Amino acid sequence: MPNVTINSQDVMIQLKHLRKVFGRQEVLRDVNLDIRRGETMVIIGQSGGGKSVILKHMIGLLQPSGGEVTIDNITISTPKFFDTRTIRKKMGMVFQMGALFDSMSTGENIAFALREQNPQFSEEQIQNIVREKLELINLRAEFAQKMPAELSGGMRKRVALARAIALNPEVILYDEPTTGLDPITSDVINDLILDMQRKLRVTSVVVTHDMASAFKVADRIAMLYNGHIIQVGTVDEIKNTTNPYVLQFITGQRELPSGPGIDAPAAL
Amino acid sequence: MTAILYSPFRFLGRMIFEGIVGVGEIFWLLFQVVLRIPLARKNPELTIRQMVSVGVSSIPLLFITSLFTGAVAAVQSEYNFRGLIPDRFVGTAVAKMVFIELGPILTAIVLAGRVGSALAAEIGSMKNKEELAAYDALNLDPLRYLALPRFLAFFFMVPCLSVLSSFLAIIGGWFTCVIGLDISSYTYYTGLQYLFDDMDLFSGIIKSFIFGVIIFLLGYYHGLNADAGAKGVGQATMKTVVSSCVSLLVFDFLTAVVIFS
Repeated sequence: MPNVTINSQDVMIQLKHLRKVFGRQEVLRDVNLDIRRGETMVIIGQSGGGKSVILKHMIGLLQPSGGEVTIDNITISTPKFFDTRTIRKKMGMVFQMGALFDSMSTGENIAFALREQNPQFSEEQIQNIVREKLELINLRAEFAQKMPAELSGGMRKRVALARAIALNPEVILYDEPTTGLDPITSDVINDLILDMQRKLRVTSVVVTHDMASAFKVADRIAMLYNGHIIQVGTVDEIKNTTNPYVLQFITGQRELPSGPGIDAPAAL
Repeated sequence: MTAILYSPFRFLGRMIFEGIVGVGEIFWLLFQVVLRIPLARKNPELTIRQMVSVGVSSIPLLFITSLFTGAVAAVQSEYNFRGLIPDRFVGTAVAKMVFIELGPILTAIVLAGRVGSALAAEIGSMKNKEELAAYDALNLDPLRYLALPRFLAFFFMVPCLSVLSSFLAIIGGWFTCVIGLDISSYTYYTGLQYLFDDMDLFSGIIKSFIFGVIIFLLGYYHGLNADAGAKGVGQATMKTVVSSCVSLLVFDFLTAVVIFS
Protein backbone atom coordinates (compact mmCIF):
# COMPACT_ATOMS: atom_id res chain seq x y z
CA MET A 1 0.00 0.00 0.00
CA PRO A 2 1.46 3.39 -0.93
CA ASN A 3 2.40 5.53 2.01
CA VAL A 4 0.06 8.50 1.50
CA THR A 5 -0.65 11.01 4.23
CA ILE A 6 -4.39 11.58 4.54
CA ASN A 7 -5.83 14.67 6.19
CA SER A 8 -8.33 13.62 8.89
CA GLN A 9 -10.89 15.89 7.19
CA ASP A 10 -10.66 13.65 4.12
CA VAL A 11 -11.51 10.49 6.05
CA MET A 12 -15.24 9.76 6.09
CA ILE A 13 -15.19 6.36 7.80
CA GLN A 14 -12.48 5.12 10.11
CA LEU A 15 -12.30 1.67 11.70
CA LYS A 16 -9.67 1.39 14.44
CA HIS A 17 -8.71 -2.06 15.75
CA LEU A 18 -12.28 -3.24 15.16
CA ARG A 19 -13.01 -6.59 16.77
CA LYS A 20 -16.28 -8.52 16.83
CA VAL A 21 -17.09 -11.75 18.62
CA PHE A 22 -20.35 -13.70 18.23
CA GLY A 23 -20.56 -16.25 21.04
CA ARG A 24 -17.24 -18.06 20.84
CA GLN A 25 -16.55 -17.10 17.24
CA GLU A 26 -14.20 -14.18 16.64
CA VAL A 27 -15.29 -12.89 13.23
CA LEU A 28 -13.27 -9.67 13.15
CA ARG A 29 -9.91 -9.74 14.92
CA ASP A 30 -8.22 -6.41 14.24
CA VAL A 31 -9.68 -4.44 11.37
CA ASN A 32 -8.11 -1.07 10.56
CA LEU A 33 -9.46 0.83 7.59
CA ASP A 34 -9.75 4.47 6.50
CA ILE A 35 -12.32 5.31 3.82
CA ARG A 36 -11.86 8.68 2.18
CA ARG A 37 -14.66 11.14 1.52
CA GLY A 38 -16.13 10.64 -1.95
CA GLU A 39 -14.31 7.43 -2.83
CA THR A 40 -15.73 4.00 -3.59
CA MET A 41 -14.11 1.44 -1.35
CA VAL A 42 -14.76 -2.19 -2.15
CA ILE A 43 -14.22 -4.75 0.60
CA ILE A 44 -13.55 -8.23 -0.75
CA GLY A 45 -13.16 -11.51 1.07
CA GLN A 46 -14.56 -14.99 1.38
CA SER A 47 -18.21 -15.67 2.14
CA GLY A 48 -18.79 -15.78 5.88
CA GLY A 49 -15.55 -13.91 6.47
CA GLY A 50 -17.18 -10.89 8.15
CA LYS A 51 -17.51 -8.37 5.28
CA SER A 52 -21.17 -7.66 6.01
CA VAL A 53 -20.32 -7.46 9.71
CA ILE A 54 -17.94 -4.59 8.92
CA LEU A 55 -20.71 -2.83 6.98
CA LYS A 56 -23.19 -3.26 9.84
CA HIS A 57 -20.68 -1.67 12.23
CA MET A 58 -20.41 1.33 9.93
CA ILE A 59 -24.16 2.03 10.05
CA GLY A 60 -24.46 1.15 13.72
CA LEU A 61 -26.45 -2.06 13.40
CA LEU A 62 -23.79 -3.83 15.46
CA GLN A 63 -21.72 -2.71 18.42
CA PRO A 64 -18.03 -3.69 18.37
CA SER A 65 -16.50 -6.08 20.88
CA GLY A 66 -13.29 -4.06 20.61
CA GLY A 67 -11.91 -0.98 18.86
CA GLU A 68 -13.96 1.92 17.55
CA VAL A 69 -15.90 3.17 14.55
CA THR A 70 -15.64 6.83 13.55
CA ILE A 71 -17.89 8.46 10.95
CA ASP A 72 -17.09 11.97 9.74
CA ASN A 73 -14.75 12.46 12.72
CA ILE A 74 -17.46 11.46 15.24
CA THR A 75 -16.89 8.27 17.23
CA ILE A 76 -20.19 6.39 17.00
CA SER A 77 -19.40 3.12 18.70
CA THR A 78 -16.93 1.44 21.00
CA PRO A 79 -17.59 -1.54 23.29
CA LYS A 80 -18.76 0.92 25.96
CA PHE A 81 -20.39 3.62 23.85
CA PHE A 82 -23.04 3.35 21.16
CA ASP A 83 -24.80 6.33 19.65
CA THR A 84 -25.75 5.90 16.04
CA ARG A 85 -28.85 8.06 15.69
CA THR A 86 -26.95 11.18 14.63
CA ILE A 87 -24.90 9.49 11.93
CA ARG A 88 -27.62 7.30 10.43
CA LYS A 89 -29.04 10.36 8.68
CA LYS A 90 -25.81 10.51 6.73
CA MET A 91 -25.92 6.85 5.75
CA GLY A 92 -27.96 4.75 3.35
CA MET A 93 -27.69 1.01 3.03
CA VAL A 94 -28.61 -1.39 0.25
CA PHE A 95 -29.11 -4.82 1.82
CA GLN A 96 -28.09 -8.08 0.19
CA MET A 97 -31.64 -9.22 -0.65
CA GLY A 98 -33.02 -5.70 -0.89
CA ALA A 99 -34.86 -5.94 2.47
CA LEU A 100 -37.84 -4.09 0.98
CA PHE A 101 -40.87 -3.81 3.25
CA ASP A 102 -43.09 -6.53 1.77
CA SER A 103 -46.36 -5.04 2.98
CA MET A 104 -45.74 -1.72 1.19
CA SER A 105 -45.69 -0.86 -2.50
CA THR A 106 -42.42 0.13 -4.15
CA GLY A 107 -43.33 3.81 -3.96
CA GLU A 108 -44.32 3.49 -0.30
CA ASN A 109 -40.99 1.77 0.43
CA ILE A 110 -39.19 4.84 -0.86
CA ALA A 111 -41.62 7.35 0.64
CA PHE A 112 -42.03 5.87 4.11
CA ALA A 113 -38.80 7.02 5.79
CA LEU A 114 -38.92 10.26 3.80
CA ARG A 115 -42.39 11.09 5.13
CA GLU A 116 -41.60 10.11 8.71
CA GLN A 117 -38.39 12.10 8.89
CA ASN A 118 -39.63 15.15 7.03
CA PRO A 119 -43.10 15.94 8.39
CA GLN A 120 -42.83 19.39 6.80
CA PHE A 121 -42.97 17.87 3.28
CA SER A 122 -46.34 17.84 1.54
CA GLU A 123 -47.58 14.59 -0.02
CA GLU A 124 -46.97 16.11 -3.47
CA GLN A 125 -43.34 16.86 -2.60
CA ILE A 126 -42.90 13.31 -1.31
CA GLN A 127 -44.32 11.82 -4.51
CA ASN A 128 -42.09 14.09 -6.61
CA ILE A 129 -39.02 12.86 -4.72
CA VAL A 130 -40.14 9.25 -5.19
CA ARG A 131 -40.48 9.84 -8.94
CA GLU A 132 -37.12 11.58 -9.08
CA LYS A 133 -35.35 8.75 -7.23
CA LEU A 134 -36.98 6.12 -9.44
CA GLU A 135 -35.78 8.03 -12.51
CA LEU A 136 -32.30 8.20 -11.03
CA ILE A 137 -32.18 4.40 -10.98
CA ASN A 138 -33.71 4.23 -14.46
CA LEU A 139 -37.14 2.97 -13.44
CA ARG A 140 -40.40 4.41 -14.72
CA ALA A 141 -42.81 6.10 -12.29
CA GLU A 142 -45.35 3.28 -12.82
CA PHE A 143 -43.06 1.02 -10.77
CA ALA A 144 -44.16 2.94 -7.68
CA GLN A 145 -47.43 0.98 -7.72
CA LYS A 146 -45.84 -2.48 -7.83
CA MET A 147 -45.48 -4.64 -4.74
CA PRO A 148 -42.00 -6.01 -3.89
CA ALA A 149 -43.20 -9.59 -4.51
CA GLU A 150 -43.85 -8.65 -8.16
CA LEU A 151 -40.24 -7.51 -8.74
CA SER A 152 -37.25 -9.54 -9.94
CA GLY A 153 -34.06 -9.75 -7.87
CA GLY A 154 -32.37 -6.99 -9.88
CA MET A 155 -35.39 -4.72 -9.64
CA ARG A 156 -35.59 -5.23 -5.90
CA LYS A 157 -31.98 -4.14 -5.52
CA ARG A 158 -32.60 -1.06 -7.65
CA VAL A 159 -35.63 -0.11 -5.56
CA ALA A 160 -33.57 -0.73 -2.42
CA LEU A 161 -31.02 1.71 -3.83
CA ALA A 162 -33.76 4.27 -4.54
CA ARG A 163 -34.95 3.89 -0.96
CA ALA A 164 -31.40 4.33 0.35
CA ILE A 165 -30.81 7.53 -1.65
CA ALA A 166 -34.24 9.02 -0.87
CA LEU A 167 -32.87 10.62 2.29
CA ASN A 168 -29.87 12.12 0.44
CA PRO A 169 -27.17 10.25 2.36
CA GLU A 170 -23.49 11.19 2.25
CA VAL A 171 -22.48 7.54 2.43
CA ILE A 172 -24.07 4.55 0.67
CA LEU A 173 -23.25 1.05 1.89
CA TYR A 174 -23.85 -1.82 -0.54
CA ASP A 175 -24.03 -5.35 0.87
CA GLU A 176 -23.25 -7.80 -1.96
CA PRO A 177 -25.15 -5.75 -4.58
CA THR A 178 -24.63 -8.21 -7.43
CA THR A 179 -24.99 -11.53 -5.60
CA GLY A 180 -27.62 -13.77 -7.16
CA LEU A 181 -27.93 -11.67 -10.33
CA ASP A 182 -27.09 -12.62 -13.90
CA PRO A 183 -23.96 -10.97 -15.40
CA ILE A 184 -25.93 -8.41 -17.41
CA THR A 185 -28.13 -7.31 -14.50
CA SER A 186 -24.99 -7.26 -12.34
CA ASP A 187 -23.43 -4.83 -14.77
CA VAL A 188 -26.56 -2.65 -14.64
CA ILE A 189 -26.15 -2.49 -10.86
CA ASN A 190 -22.43 -1.70 -11.24
CA ASP A 191 -23.30 1.18 -13.57
CA LEU A 192 -25.83 2.45 -11.05
CA ILE A 193 -23.19 2.42 -8.30
CA LEU A 194 -20.89 4.45 -10.55
CA ASP A 195 -23.82 6.71 -11.48
CA MET A 196 -24.61 7.44 -7.83
CA GLN A 197 -20.96 8.24 -7.25
CA ARG A 198 -20.89 10.66 -10.17
CA LYS A 199 -24.30 12.32 -9.69
CA LEU A 200 -24.58 12.41 -5.91
CA ARG A 201 -20.87 12.60 -5.00
CA VAL A 202 -21.36 10.15 -2.18
CA THR A 203 -18.84 7.98 -0.37
CA SER A 204 -19.58 4.36 -1.24
CA VAL A 205 -18.59 1.16 0.50
CA VAL A 206 -19.29 -2.02 -1.45
CA VAL A 207 -18.96 -5.47 0.03
CA THR A 208 -18.65 -8.18 -2.59
CA HIS A 209 -16.89 -11.32 -3.69
CA ASP A 210 -17.70 -10.62 -7.35
CA MET A 211 -14.31 -9.53 -8.70
CA ALA A 212 -15.70 -8.19 -12.01
CA SER A 213 -17.91 -5.88 -10.01
CA ALA A 214 -15.10 -4.94 -7.63
CA PHE A 215 -12.69 -4.03 -10.43
CA LYS A 216 -15.36 -1.99 -12.23
CA VAL A 217 -16.67 0.17 -9.39
CA ALA A 218 -13.72 0.48 -6.99
CA ASP A 219 -11.45 3.43 -6.41
CA ARG A 220 -9.70 1.29 -3.83
CA ILE A 221 -10.08 -2.32 -2.75
CA ALA A 222 -9.54 -3.77 0.74
CA MET A 223 -9.08 -7.50 1.27
CA LEU A 224 -10.46 -9.04 4.46
CA TYR A 225 -8.79 -12.28 5.46
CA ASN A 226 -9.06 -14.15 8.73
CA GLY A 227 -10.50 -11.13 10.56
CA HIS A 228 -7.82 -8.69 9.33
CA ILE A 229 -7.58 -6.26 6.43
CA ILE A 230 -4.48 -7.67 4.77
CA GLN A 231 -4.16 -5.27 1.85
CA VAL A 232 -5.67 -1.98 0.70
CA GLY A 233 -4.89 -0.62 -2.74
CA THR A 234 -6.12 0.73 -6.03
CA VAL A 235 -7.51 -1.63 -8.64
CA ASP A 236 -4.12 -1.83 -10.39
CA GLU A 237 -2.30 -2.43 -7.13
CA ILE A 238 -4.66 -5.27 -6.25
CA LYS A 239 -4.41 -6.78 -9.76
CA ASN A 240 -0.59 -6.73 -9.45
CA THR A 241 -0.49 -7.90 -5.84
CA THR A 242 2.26 -10.09 -4.51
CA ASN A 243 0.23 -11.10 -1.45
CA PRO A 244 -0.57 -14.80 -1.94
CA TYR A 245 -3.93 -14.61 -0.12
CA VAL A 246 -5.15 -11.68 -2.23
CA LEU A 247 -3.85 -13.31 -5.39
CA GLN A 248 -5.58 -16.58 -4.52
CA PHE A 249 -8.88 -14.75 -4.00
CA ILE A 250 -8.85 -12.52 -7.10
CA THR A 251 -7.82 -15.37 -9.37
CA GLY A 252 -10.22 -17.80 -7.72
CA GLN A 253 -7.75 -20.61 -6.99
CA ARG A 254 -8.32 -23.41 -4.54
CA GLU A 255 -4.62 -23.66 -3.61
CA LEU A 256 -2.50 -20.79 -2.27
CA PRO A 257 -0.28 -19.63 -5.16
CA SER A 258 3.50 -19.61 -4.77
CA GLY A 259 6.50 -18.92 -6.93
CA PRO A 260 8.66 -16.05 -8.09
CA GLY A 261 7.15 -12.60 -7.44
CA ILE A 262 4.75 -13.89 -4.79
CA ASP A 263 5.39 -13.24 -1.10
CA ALA A 264 5.63 -16.09 1.37
CA PRO A 265 2.33 -16.60 3.21
CA ALA A 266 2.30 -14.66 6.48
CA ALA A 267 0.84 -16.24 9.61
CA LEU A 268 -2.37 -14.42 10.61
CA MET B 1 -31.07 -32.81 22.76
CA THR B 2 -28.69 -35.41 24.16
CA ALA B 3 -27.42 -32.80 26.65
CA ILE B 4 -30.32 -33.66 28.95
CA LEU B 5 -29.05 -37.25 29.16
CA TYR B 6 -25.36 -36.47 29.73
CA SER B 7 -25.68 -33.57 32.18
CA PRO B 8 -29.29 -33.15 33.31
CA PHE B 9 -28.49 -30.63 36.07
CA ARG B 10 -26.54 -28.36 33.77
CA PHE B 11 -29.33 -28.66 31.19
CA LEU B 12 -31.95 -27.81 33.81
CA GLY B 13 -29.86 -24.91 35.12
CA ARG B 14 -29.47 -23.49 31.63
CA MET B 15 -33.20 -23.86 30.97
CA ILE B 16 -34.03 -21.95 34.17
CA PHE B 17 -31.44 -19.26 33.43
CA GLU B 18 -32.69 -18.81 29.84
CA GLY B 19 -36.28 -18.73 31.13
CA ILE B 20 -35.48 -15.94 33.58
CA VAL B 21 -33.61 -13.97 30.91
CA GLY B 22 -36.55 -14.48 28.52
CA VAL B 23 -39.09 -13.21 31.05
CA GLY B 24 -36.87 -10.18 31.68
CA GLU B 25 -36.60 -9.48 27.96
CA ILE B 26 -40.38 -9.80 27.52
CA PHE B 27 -41.05 -7.30 30.31
CA TRP B 28 -38.43 -4.96 28.84
CA LEU B 29 -40.20 -5.23 25.46
CA LEU B 30 -43.52 -4.39 27.12
CA PHE B 31 -41.96 -1.40 28.88
CA GLN B 32 -40.39 -0.10 25.65
CA VAL B 33 -43.67 -0.44 23.74
CA VAL B 34 -45.75 1.22 26.47
CA LEU B 35 -43.29 4.14 26.49
CA ARG B 36 -44.09 4.73 22.81
CA ILE B 37 -47.89 4.75 23.16
CA PRO B 38 -48.13 8.58 22.79
CA LEU B 39 -46.54 8.23 19.32
CA ALA B 40 -49.41 6.04 18.05
CA ARG B 41 -51.56 9.05 17.14
CA LYS B 42 -48.99 10.12 14.52
CA ASN B 43 -49.56 6.95 12.46
CA PRO B 44 -53.16 5.87 13.15
CA GLU B 45 -53.33 4.07 9.79
CA LEU B 46 -50.73 1.53 10.96
CA THR B 47 -52.79 0.65 14.04
CA ILE B 48 -56.06 0.51 12.08
CA ARG B 49 -54.48 -1.86 9.53
CA GLN B 50 -53.39 -4.16 12.35
CA MET B 51 -56.79 -3.95 14.05
CA VAL B 52 -58.40 -5.14 10.84
CA SER B 53 -55.85 -7.94 10.53
CA VAL B 54 -56.17 -9.08 14.16
CA GLY B 55 -59.84 -8.33 14.72
CA VAL B 56 -62.05 -8.15 11.67
CA SER B 57 -60.28 -10.97 9.83
CA SER B 58 -60.68 -13.29 12.83
CA ILE B 59 -64.46 -12.92 13.01
CA PRO B 60 -65.37 -15.77 10.59
CA LEU B 61 -63.26 -18.26 12.56
CA LEU B 62 -64.59 -17.03 15.90
CA PHE B 63 -68.12 -17.21 14.55
CA ILE B 64 -67.84 -20.95 14.09
CA THR B 65 -65.85 -21.75 17.25
CA SER B 66 -68.10 -19.60 19.45
CA LEU B 67 -71.40 -21.02 18.16
CA PHE B 68 -70.18 -24.53 18.81
CA THR B 69 -68.75 -23.60 22.21
CA GLY B 70 -72.21 -22.36 23.27
CA ALA B 71 -73.84 -25.41 21.74
CA VAL B 72 -71.56 -27.80 23.64
CA ALA B 73 -72.07 -25.84 26.88
CA ALA B 74 -75.86 -26.18 26.48
CA VAL B 75 -75.72 -29.89 25.65
CA GLN B 76 -73.42 -30.70 28.58
CA SER B 77 -75.45 -28.63 31.04
CA GLU B 78 -78.69 -30.26 30.01
CA TYR B 79 -77.14 -33.75 30.15
CA ASN B 80 -75.52 -33.28 33.56
CA PHE B 81 -78.46 -31.49 35.21
CA ARG B 82 -81.20 -33.63 33.62
CA GLY B 83 -83.81 -34.52 36.22
CA LEU B 84 -81.90 -32.63 38.95
CA ILE B 85 -82.82 -28.99 38.36
CA PRO B 86 -85.32 -27.14 36.16
CA ASP B 87 -84.54 -26.62 32.44
CA ARG B 88 -84.13 -22.86 32.81
CA PHE B 89 -80.86 -23.45 34.67
CA VAL B 90 -79.37 -24.63 31.38
CA GLY B 91 -79.43 -20.97 30.25
CA THR B 92 -77.94 -19.91 33.58
CA ALA B 93 -75.13 -22.45 33.28
CA VAL B 94 -74.37 -21.45 29.69
CA ALA B 95 -74.26 -17.73 30.60
CA LYS B 96 -72.00 -18.30 33.60
CA MET B 97 -69.61 -20.59 31.72
CA VAL B 98 -69.47 -18.46 28.60
CA PHE B 99 -69.13 -14.99 30.11
CA ILE B 100 -66.69 -15.90 32.87
CA GLU B 101 -64.48 -18.51 31.24
CA LEU B 102 -65.25 -20.05 27.87
CA GLY B 103 -65.70 -16.80 25.93
CA PRO B 104 -62.46 -15.09 26.99
CA ILE B 105 -60.15 -18.11 27.22
CA LEU B 106 -61.29 -19.88 24.06
CA THR B 107 -61.18 -16.62 22.10
CA ALA B 108 -57.65 -16.03 23.38
CA ILE B 109 -56.49 -19.55 22.53
CA VAL B 110 -58.03 -19.38 19.06
CA LEU B 111 -56.37 -15.99 18.49
CA ALA B 112 -53.02 -17.27 19.80
CA GLY B 113 -53.24 -19.97 17.14
CA ARG B 114 -54.38 -17.68 14.37
CA VAL B 115 -52.86 -14.22 14.86
CA GLY B 116 -50.22 -14.89 17.54
CA SER B 117 -48.49 -17.48 15.37
CA ALA B 118 -48.89 -15.24 12.30
CA LEU B 119 -47.24 -12.38 14.23
CA ALA B 120 -44.25 -14.58 15.15
CA ALA B 121 -43.93 -15.78 11.55
CA GLU B 122 -44.17 -12.23 10.17
CA ILE B 123 -41.59 -10.74 12.55
CA GLY B 124 -39.33 -13.81 12.19
CA SER B 125 -39.42 -13.51 8.39
CA MET B 126 -38.78 -9.77 8.58
CA LYS B 127 -35.76 -10.45 10.77
CA ASN B 128 -34.41 -13.11 8.41
CA LYS B 129 -34.93 -10.94 5.33
CA GLU B 130 -33.20 -8.01 7.13
CA GLU B 131 -36.35 -5.87 7.03
CA LEU B 132 -35.94 -5.13 10.74
CA ALA B 133 -32.34 -4.05 10.13
CA ALA B 134 -33.61 -1.91 7.24
CA TYR B 135 -35.90 -0.03 9.64
CA ASP B 136 -32.88 0.73 11.83
CA ALA B 137 -30.74 1.65 8.84
CA LEU B 138 -33.40 4.14 7.71
CA ASN B 139 -33.40 5.62 11.22
CA LEU B 140 -36.94 4.31 11.79
CA ASP B 141 -37.71 2.82 15.19
CA PRO B 142 -39.07 -0.75 14.65
CA LEU B 143 -40.74 -0.69 18.05
CA ARG B 144 -42.72 2.37 17.08
CA TYR B 145 -43.67 1.33 13.54
CA LEU B 146 -43.98 -2.44 13.97
CA ALA B 147 -44.49 -3.35 17.62
CA LEU B 148 -46.70 -0.48 18.81
CA PRO B 149 -49.50 -0.81 16.20
CA ARG B 150 -49.62 -4.57 16.79
CA PHE B 151 -49.63 -4.12 20.56
CA LEU B 152 -52.57 -1.71 20.39
CA ALA B 153 -54.44 -3.96 17.96
CA PHE B 154 -54.10 -6.99 20.25
CA PHE B 155 -54.87 -4.92 23.36
CA PHE B 156 -58.14 -3.52 22.02
CA MET B 157 -59.33 -6.21 19.63
CA VAL B 158 -59.00 -9.28 21.88
CA PRO B 159 -61.56 -7.93 24.41
CA CYS B 160 -63.88 -6.88 21.56
CA LEU B 161 -63.64 -10.34 20.02
CA SER B 162 -64.10 -11.93 23.43
CA VAL B 163 -67.40 -10.06 23.97
CA LEU B 164 -68.52 -10.94 20.45
CA SER B 165 -67.54 -14.56 21.02
CA SER B 166 -69.51 -14.71 24.28
CA PHE B 167 -72.66 -13.41 22.60
CA LEU B 168 -72.24 -15.81 19.69
CA ALA B 169 -71.84 -18.67 22.17
CA ILE B 170 -75.06 -17.61 23.89
CA ILE B 171 -76.76 -17.74 20.49
CA GLY B 172 -75.21 -21.17 19.86
CA GLY B 173 -76.57 -22.37 23.20
CA TRP B 174 -80.02 -20.95 22.46
CA PHE B 175 -80.11 -22.58 19.03
CA THR B 176 -79.17 -25.96 20.52
CA CYS B 177 -81.76 -25.66 23.28
CA VAL B 178 -84.57 -24.81 20.88
CA ILE B 179 -83.65 -27.25 18.10
CA GLY B 180 -82.24 -30.22 19.97
CA LEU B 181 -83.05 -30.08 23.66
CA ASP B 182 -86.71 -29.16 23.63
CA ILE B 183 -86.14 -26.10 25.82
CA SER B 184 -88.16 -23.03 24.81
CA SER B 185 -86.63 -19.67 23.98
CA TYR B 186 -88.45 -18.13 26.94
CA THR B 187 -87.05 -20.73 29.38
CA TYR B 188 -83.53 -20.27 28.01
CA TYR B 189 -83.83 -16.48 28.14
CA THR B 190 -85.09 -16.37 31.74
CA GLY B 191 -82.27 -18.75 32.67
CA LEU B 192 -79.72 -16.41 31.12
CA GLN B 193 -80.98 -13.53 33.27
CA TYR B 194 -81.18 -15.58 36.46
CA LEU B 195 -78.09 -15.11 38.69
CA PHE B 196 -76.51 -12.89 36.02
CA ASP B 197 -74.01 -10.50 37.57
CA ASP B 198 -72.38 -7.59 35.69
CA MET B 199 -69.11 -8.79 37.14
CA ASP B 200 -69.38 -11.97 35.05
CA LEU B 201 -69.11 -9.94 31.88
CA PHE B 202 -66.56 -7.43 33.19
CA SER B 203 -64.25 -10.12 34.57
CA GLY B 204 -64.17 -11.66 31.09
CA ILE B 205 -63.36 -8.29 29.51
CA ILE B 206 -60.65 -7.47 32.05
CA LYS B 207 -59.05 -10.88 31.47
CA SER B 208 -59.18 -10.36 27.72
CA PHE B 209 -57.08 -7.19 27.90
CA ILE B 210 -54.39 -9.21 29.70
CA PHE B 211 -54.75 -12.07 27.22
CA GLY B 212 -54.28 -9.66 24.30
CA VAL B 213 -51.04 -8.34 25.80
CA ILE B 214 -49.77 -11.89 26.45
CA ILE B 215 -50.42 -13.06 22.87
CA PHE B 216 -48.76 -9.95 21.43
CA LEU B 217 -45.68 -10.15 23.68
CA LEU B 218 -45.04 -13.84 23.07
CA GLY B 219 -45.64 -13.59 19.31
CA TYR B 220 -43.39 -10.55 18.89
CA TYR B 221 -40.70 -11.89 21.23
CA HIS B 222 -40.46 -15.29 19.56
CA GLY B 223 -40.47 -13.62 16.13
CA LEU B 224 -37.56 -11.38 17.17
CA ASN B 225 -35.62 -14.40 18.40
CA ALA B 226 -36.42 -16.65 15.43
CA ASP B 227 -33.42 -18.49 14.00
CA ALA B 228 -32.61 -18.23 10.31
CA GLY B 229 -34.51 -20.21 7.70
CA ALA B 230 -37.90 -21.84 7.42
CA LYS B 231 -37.18 -24.11 10.37
CA GLY B 232 -36.35 -21.13 12.59
CA VAL B 233 -39.60 -19.37 11.70
CA GLY B 234 -41.56 -22.62 12.17
CA GLN B 235 -40.01 -23.06 15.62
CA ALA B 236 -40.89 -19.48 16.52
CA THR B 237 -44.56 -19.96 15.62
CA MET B 238 -44.69 -23.26 17.52
CA LYS B 239 -43.11 -21.67 20.60
CA THR B 240 -45.58 -18.79 20.37
CA VAL B 241 -48.64 -21.05 20.33
CA VAL B 242 -47.36 -23.35 23.08
CA SER B 243 -46.13 -20.58 25.41
CA SER B 244 -49.26 -18.50 24.75
CA CYS B 245 -51.62 -21.38 25.62
CA VAL B 246 -49.72 -22.16 28.82
CA SER B 247 -49.42 -18.49 29.84
CA LEU B 248 -53.09 -17.81 29.04
CA LEU B 249 -54.25 -20.63 31.28
CA VAL B 250 -51.88 -19.60 34.10
CA PHE B 251 -52.96 -15.95 33.91
CA ASP B 252 -56.60 -17.02 33.60
CA PHE B 253 -56.23 -18.79 36.93
CA LEU B 254 -54.37 -15.85 38.53
CA THR B 255 -56.91 -13.25 37.39
CA ALA B 256 -59.78 -15.49 38.51
CA VAL B 257 -58.21 -15.71 41.96
CA VAL B 258 -57.71 -11.93 42.12
CA ILE B 259 -61.13 -10.95 40.73
CA PHE B 260 -63.34 -13.48 42.48
CA SER B 261 -61.66 -13.54 45.87
